[in-house]
Amino acid sequence: MRFTKTPTASKRSRATLAAAAAVTLASTLAACGAAEEGGGDDEIVIGISLPLTGDFSEPGKGIQRGYEAWAEYVNANGGLLGRDVRLEMLDDQSSAERVAADYEKLINQEQVDLVVGPFSTRLVIPAAQVAQDYGFLFVEPAGAAPEVFEEGFDNLFYAAPAVANDHYKLLAEHILAMPENERPKTAAYASMDDPFAQGTAYGLKDALEEGGVKTVADEVYPPNTTDFSGIAAKIADSKADMVVGGSQYQDGVNLIVALQQLNYQPKLAAFSTAPTETEFAKAIGDKTQGIIAPTGYTTKAAYPENQEFVKFYEEKHGEAPGEDEANAWTTGQVVAAAVEAVECAEPDPECQSKLIDWLHENEVETVVGPLSWDDKGRPQSAHMIQQWVDGEIKIVLPEDQAEAEFVFPKPAW
Amino acid sequence: MSGPLLLQSLILGLLLGGLYALLAAGLTLYFGVMRVVMIAHSAFLILAAYLAWFFTAQTGLDPLLSLVITVPLFFAAGYGMQRALLSRLRPATLTMMSVLLTFAIALIIEGGLGYLFSGTQRRIQLGYSSASLELWGARIAVVKLVAFGLAAVSLLALYLLLKKTRFGQALRATIQHREAAQLLGIDTDRIAGFGFGLGLATAAVGGTALALDATIYPSLHWHWIGPLMAIIVIGGLGSIPGAAIAAILLGVTQSLLQIPMGTTWAQTVFYLALFATLMFRPQGFFGGRLAQRF
Repeated sequence: MRFTKTPTASKRSRATLAAAAAVTLASTLAACGAAEEGGGDDEIVIGISLPLTGDFSEPGKGIQRGYEAWAEYVNANGGLLGRDVRLEMLDDQSSAERVAADYEKLINQEQVDLVVGPFSTRLVIPAAQVAQDYGFLFVEPAGAAPEVFEEGFDNLFYAAPAVANDHYKLLAEHILAMPENERPKTAAYASMDDPFAQGTAYGLKDALEEGGVKTVADEVYPPNTTDFSGIAAKIADSKADMVVGGSQYQDGVNLIVALQQLNYQPKLAAFSTAPTETEFAKAIGDKTQGIIAPTGYTTKAAYPENQEFVKFYEEKHGEAPGEDEANAWTTGQVVAAAVEAVECAEPDPECQSKLIDWLHENEVETVVGPLSWDDKGRPQSAHMIQQWVDGEIKIVLPEDQAEAEFVFPKPAW
Repeated sequence: MSGPLLLQSLILGLLLGGLYALLAAGLTLYFGVMRVVMIAHSAFLILAAYLAWFFTAQTGLDPLLSLVITVPLFFAAGYGMQRALLSRLRPATLTMMSVLLTFAIALIIEGGLGYLFSGTQRRIQLGYSSASLELWGARIAVVKLVAFGLAAVSLLALYLLLKKTRFGQALRATIQHREAAQLLGIDTDRIAGFGFGLGLATAAVGGTALALDATIYPSLHWHWIGPLMAIIVIGGLGSIPGAAIAAILLGVTQSLLQIPMGTTWAQTVFYLALFATLMFRPQGFFGGRLAQRF
């Protein structure tokens, strides 16, 4: 039997309570006219709000493809607890106000059994708040900025290997493990003024500074910057042994080209996101020698879950999945693991809190490797480090997943 | 601050200033000829950059070859725009209404580019994009040198056209005194149309030069119009040499200020210079008396 969802009043503000009362009333009225929404005994309904239009529609659709592929895969393999999985998706138009209302609606009106997260920090926080208010488990595929884990959520789990600040963790460890006289002594940093991009670069900066690598240049540029020659001139002039870019895509490309124009030849060059894009090599005229990038997902990772995922996805879509698809699939896997382990998928607080507790205590095998979380929902793994070697990007760290040797010092570009 | 960095920044500033000069030249020309404030100038600049990118992406040929198409196209578009739209505005409110009209055109171009090519940032893929020459320890990127060369050649051509040809004399006469020019038998409407076309043709060259070494996206023109407006006011509205000198000075200042202040704050130099100009010398530092009429 289903329970009606009446969360404990102590947890919630009066305003939320009033809103919830209104919504509950509305849903009761709606239920009078229409057949009961939500899953019967033979299916598990998972509620999702996604930015299918608006600013985040591109990645939002990627997440959607991932979730849909995962549900299809689960249903083709006997479902969850013997029940079919059905996804109930809403479009939040990339709006933070809308996403909160959507999750209220999914939980109250549609009476879904489980919810999973939308795309990106800005939408994840309000959505997680609603889930928290109703005591729901909230696994999310894309909210890696530090704020997400500082809001005091105890129901949130980020289904990816690492938060932004830990993207370069393996690289930092590798550099600091080099013999003192070989490793880089000075480093230059340039980062976009953006919480994610800065998080990646400053995570590495903090680790290296602690290990004794001196910071000789530290530049921050606005997101609309197109002329990087001034920043490149300062980095080249600092003669730093290594350069780190907290980049998205085009800023990374522009900065690399500007550095090459000045014939700056560092021993190590690491940039987030940009070098993993398919267009990257062509964009910088194939001068990719030894460029390093952290990556949260690659189709080449040897985990058996991943190979199964890639095969299934390619058969369905005729192309390889990207990071967004993989993160959504991972989210599905994490929820499924908890559901299978505690053998329940009901919206009542008792079942939801069992799911939450289980994830806090256990490790889940996923397409991005084994994942476990701290008490704030930060994943405890690390991004793999990839490097451009002989015109191809290859995994170099961790060593058990490596396709090629880490090249240091990097060849001239 | 080290010597080599200073030299490097000075060179980068000069190269940047050259591009600013070309782009500001067109903007000041419209104002000189017609008292039109052309907000859409930088939107046409980005349009030309997109056409150069599209040309290279489709044909694989060098983006400079796209000038053969874009320069005549933009000249014709400018002539058509002046005759069909701007000349219909009432002279009494021309300057103000031209802001609205060209603002609308800028939005149409931006929206059209977004619709056709999406908001994704684009960059022309060139084999020589990272090639550079050495000069006293500093580096000069080939693409920046090409862009500077384009700017210098176009500015020189514009200067010679205005100073040495009958058309140039007629255009300058129209700038200086429209009624008197009409009395001398100059068809000032046609001349104004050609002047406008000429201005847009510089945007075609400037946009192609810009696309050689920068990322482009549809809303990028907002980033350019502010500095360009500042340059033509500082240089003196309507004065091409004034705009060119102001452009070079501000380009170099911006580049040098980046060393102590960083990228974000160095951009403010345009606005500080603009405030100072309006406070102490509103007619601009090099221009004629045009600004005083308003």
